[in-house]
Amino acid sequence: MADRQLTTLLTQLRTPSLPFAQSTTLLSKAKLLLLQLSALTPSPTVPPQTLTLAREVYELGALHSLRAKNPESFTRYVSQLQPFYDLPPQSSSAPSQNQNKVTALWLLFLLTQGRYTEFHSDLEGLSTRGSVAEVENDRFLGYPIKLERWLMEGAYDRVWKAMKKGEVPSEEFGVLCEVLTPQIRREIASSSERAYPSLPFLSAQSLLFLDSEGAVIDFAHSRGWVIKDKIIYFPTAAELNADEEGEQELEKDVSQMVIENTLGYARQLETIV
Amino acid sequence: MPGKTPDKEPVDNAGYRGGNKMKGKAGKKGEDEKMTVVVPPSKKKDVEGDVAMDVDEKVEEENVGEKTVADIKGNFALLDRAVALFDARFTLRALRSVSSIRKRLTPDILAQAISETYTSTSPGAEIAAGLLKVIGKEGVPLGGGKAGIEMEIDSEPSSKSPQKNGSKKEQKEIAPEIDVFFGILTQVLLHDSKQWQQGLDFSRFLIDKIQALNRRTLDSLSAKVYFYYELFAEQLAPLPPSSQSSIVAIRPVLLAALRTAVLRKDTDTQASVIVLLLRNYLLTSHISQADLLVSHTQFPENAANNQVARYLYYLGKVRAIQLLYTEAHNHLTAATRKAPSSACAVGFSQTATKLLLVVELLMGDIPDRATFRQPTMEAALHPYFLLVKAVRVGDLGEFERIVAQHGDAFRRDGTYTLILRLRQNVIKTGIRMMSLSYSRISLRDICIRLHLGSEESAEYIVAKAIRDGVIEASLDREKGYMKSKEVGDVYATREPGETFHDRIRACLGLHDESVKAMRFPMNQHRLELKNAQEAREREREMAKEIQEGDLDEDDLGGEFEGM
Repeated sequence: MADRQLTTLLTQLRTPSLPFAQSTTLLSKAKLLLLQLSALTPSPTVPPQTLTLAREVYELGALHSLRAKNPESFTRYVSQLQPFYDLPPQSSSAPSQNQNKVTALWLLFLLTQGRYTEFHSDLEGLSTRGSVAEVENDRFLGYPIKLERWLMEGAYDRVWKAMKKGEVPSEEFGVLCEVLTPQIRREIASSSERAYPSLPFLSAQSLLFLDSEGAVIDFAHSRGWVIKDKIIYFPTAAELNADEEGEQELEKDVSQMVIENTLGYARQLETIV
Repeated sequence: MPGKTPDKEPVDNAGYRGGNKMKGKAGKKGEDEKMTVVVPPSKKKDVEGDVAMDVDEKVEEENVGEKTVADIKGNFALLDRAVALFDARFTLRALRSVSSIRKRLTPDILAQAISETYTSTSPGAEIAAGLLKVIGKEGVPLGGGKAGIEMEIDSEPSSKSPQKNGSKKEQKEIAPEIDVFFGILTQVLLHDSKQWQQGLDFSRFLIDKIQALNRRTLDSLSAKVYFYYELFAEQLAPLPPSSQSSIVAIRPVLLAALRTAVLRKDTDTQASVIVLLLRNYLLTSHISQADLLVSHTQFPENAANNQVARYLYYLGKVRAIQLLYTEAHNHLTAATRKAPSSACAVGFSQTATKLLLVVELLMGDIPDRATFRQPTMEAALHPYFLLVKAVRVGDLGEFERIVAQHGDAFRRDGTYTLILRLRQNVIKTGIRMMSLSYSRISLRDICIRLHLGSEESAEYIVAKAIRDGVIEASLDREKGYMKSKEVGDVYATREPGETFHDRIRACLGLHDESVKAMRFPMNQHRLELKNAQEAREREREMAKEIQEGDLDEDDLGGEFEGM
């Protein structure tokens, strides 16, 4: 009875263009049914078919919550899925089609949150699913791994290319990439500030992957950059001044430190001799 | 070393296995987690029978067998003393001898020892029969040996008049420690003959028995029992990386053992079970669980040195995966230092050193060249040596070639994913080398030399390197080149002074610590001298009094004088 209801709910949920409000109600209904079947968490008494259904409910829930840009609920669904993925293969009927996708989305989510520690811990856990090459060549799993590597190196143009509309493995990745975009832009901006004394307007636009001149101007203002004759000057001069002042103070500190150290040595020498 | 070619690779394997073999034979104490390749005892082949075996050899063999039985029995005295005096040191001494017995252990010898120790009427008979069954010697009658007969004679009158012979009977009663000691020997035997499933079942039985007994004198023995339990579970198919491995199934048992050990203040078992659990989690790559275990347990401070070394190694591994390189480096350095320097633990030091090298590289340091020259390490560390060379020069092509070539070795060592992270370090070093050698270099050249995908990538990467403070340089977008800033005179900065200060502080700290370390025994020594002197004086006075007082024993005084 409850089984059949769940299946009908799932077919409804599978339609990709489901409005968010509707999917939420459907999901909560599905979870209630799961509760009746006592399949909210995998236990040995539950038949494998029901477990497969439960797993699918959570997977769809995770994908829906990502589309709805709800990170909390996404996190919840992923944690609920974990015990299902850890089940031995014979107890659930077939390995899930969506498993790699959900895991890859989770990894990308961790990247956008800057939770690198968890990212790497989970990445290590992937080695149980197959050889490293297999994981890296997977359409879904390879994606966050490559992105992380490029981000760490600083090859932002490759990241950018990978994040374009056509390149993402599926729609849900696009949602997370949107979160990642401003972060990357900030990274590029902060490295450009240090690397270039000045930058022509057009170069800045291409460097920062901005669409229009107006966007560049807005961005420059938000970072406090000076624009003169279509050339962006980074606030290095002001910084240098500040540094010089700081240096003088430092100079004082240095001499004081040297005196303190020497006195310390003298005292120590006395105690030793 | 530089002349070494990659075709030396097989040497690594040979040396590595050799190390294991040595370990398996030479030291149970120093045996580390790499102990998977176990050479079956060489004795076995002889026993099975060479037709052309000399009579001499046969005699010798019997002697060896007898000697082994005697050795096994010799340990009972130690175990009995451990029980009587409640001193774990004797138990440890008995355990230490297991490694020497192991080399000569065969089912026959063990069966003989068991049959000579137990009688069919003694309380341990049931256990003994169980042990015999496990090693496949059901037919051996109990009480076969001389000792058994003696015991039977002893126990019969004692049962009639227990009050008279009570003390004697107690001496002859077999302590549970001896049962467990036989259990460990059986585990060793099963392990060496690769009977994993049987070993696992037997270990489970032994663990239940130990927990039912609840004796503090069993603590160090039970630590060993758990150790073999884990080893058996690891060998069973499906092998560890899969999440269906039997090591997942034994986790509840180990966790329960940990809880019990902590409640009973059983540091031996506690330390060993924590280490086993960590190893267990890491084998299935459950890093977050391992991390949680570390944060929720406290590793006993007075644990055995070997366990501390293992714990630090696993902790270092967890931290390295979590990108906490500095912490990982500290733990791993401590682990390699704590590892026994004798040949029996070569495998452990090799594994720990490998991980340490990778972590050092990840931190941006170049490991000391002397590390690769140690004779026990040289062959095993060869792939890492090549890796370090590539990272040091910043040659991305060479780095990728080495990773591809030695990928299997790295994967086997579990360092592969960490090494993949090194890519960015190689790029950074490459950029630094270039910025040091050229005052101005075009982005195209950087791109070609570092084998980067495109000029844009090169530009972003260099910009990031500048921001991260890897190099002192600036970029010119229009002309497309990187201009290095003049490297200032280091001696004009505060750096030498700071380094100097650090070193002096380290020396002073060392001095202070040595003074502190010396103070206690020095005073103690004086105190003892003073006590001795006082005692002597007292004695002399006493002797004088005896002499002066009208005591009839004249020679007594003389004797005192002599002291």
